[in-house]
Amino acid sequence: MLNYNSPILDSKNYSGLKISVIEPIIKINLRGKNRDFITKIGKELSIIPPTEANTSSGNENLNILWLSPDEWLIYSNNKIDFKNNNSLEDKLFNEISKVKLGAVTNVTDHWIMINLKGEKVFELLSGGCPYNFNDFKNLKGSVTQTLVNHIDVIIHNKDINDLNLFVRRSFSEHLWSWINDGSRFI
Amino acid sequence: MFLINCPYCGERDQSEFSAGGEAHIERPKQPTELSDDQWAEFLFMRKNIKGIQYERWNHTHGCRKWFNMVRDTSNDKIHAVYKMGEKPPVK
Repeated sequence: MLNYNSPILDSKNYSGLKISVIEPIIKINLRGKNRDFITKIGKELSIIPPTEANTSSGNENLNILWLSPDEWLIYSNNKIDFKNNNSLEDKLFNEISKVKLGAVTNVTDHWIMINLKGEKVFELLSGGCPYNFNDFKNLKGSVTQTLVNHIDVIIHNKDINDLNLFVRRSFSEHLWSWINDGSRFI
Repeated sequence: MFLINCPYCGERDQSEFSAGGEAHIERPKQPTELSDDQWAEFLFMRKNIKGIQYERWNHTHGCRKWFNMVRDTSNDKIHAVYKMGEKPPVK
């Protein structure tokens, strides 16, 4: 049974920065290699998974993030409707996993999504991240997997100065503390 | 600290990667026919060259893919990076 309750449900405002945990939203990990797999995903979701590294694709409901040449993360823009929460997973599972085109894993309870907004977002992240954000911050839809304060994260550049950061559930409280602590000094 | 050009993700800091030891070591086709010394040679013995070395690396905190690298261990200069299964571009 998936645990949809986030360990943090908070939002904070700092000068030039707003941080909030947006949960519960559906997150699905996709793994597959062949062309049929990509075509099938495109057909089912009406979004083609990006094949170019460090990019994403999406529509008003869903985003697909490139994680590696054979791995993607789908997440929704809307919170889970508990009356109908498994429909996307079921649909993909039946069309992909059951026919052995690839693997579909529901990782909703695995990742916590933190939204960071404001002109000081990159100043905050640069304090604890080895990644060079110079090109990243100007490319809407860019994605990176890197470290923030030694914690593995996935960062999606949703819009200018508007990021969605995914962190593993067990590290989320620690990262949340670090972000809050760092935000006070920028 | 140095930068590594991951063949999948592009240029990243070395702290995102893990070294995986010497590259291009072939597993013996018939391990049961080897002597203990030959098996130990395959399992444990590795070159530790001061100079150009062929290595395996993993982008642990990125795409989690393995790849090969030609690195000069004396100055950390990276001569080439190439995907698993590809032939080394320099000899």
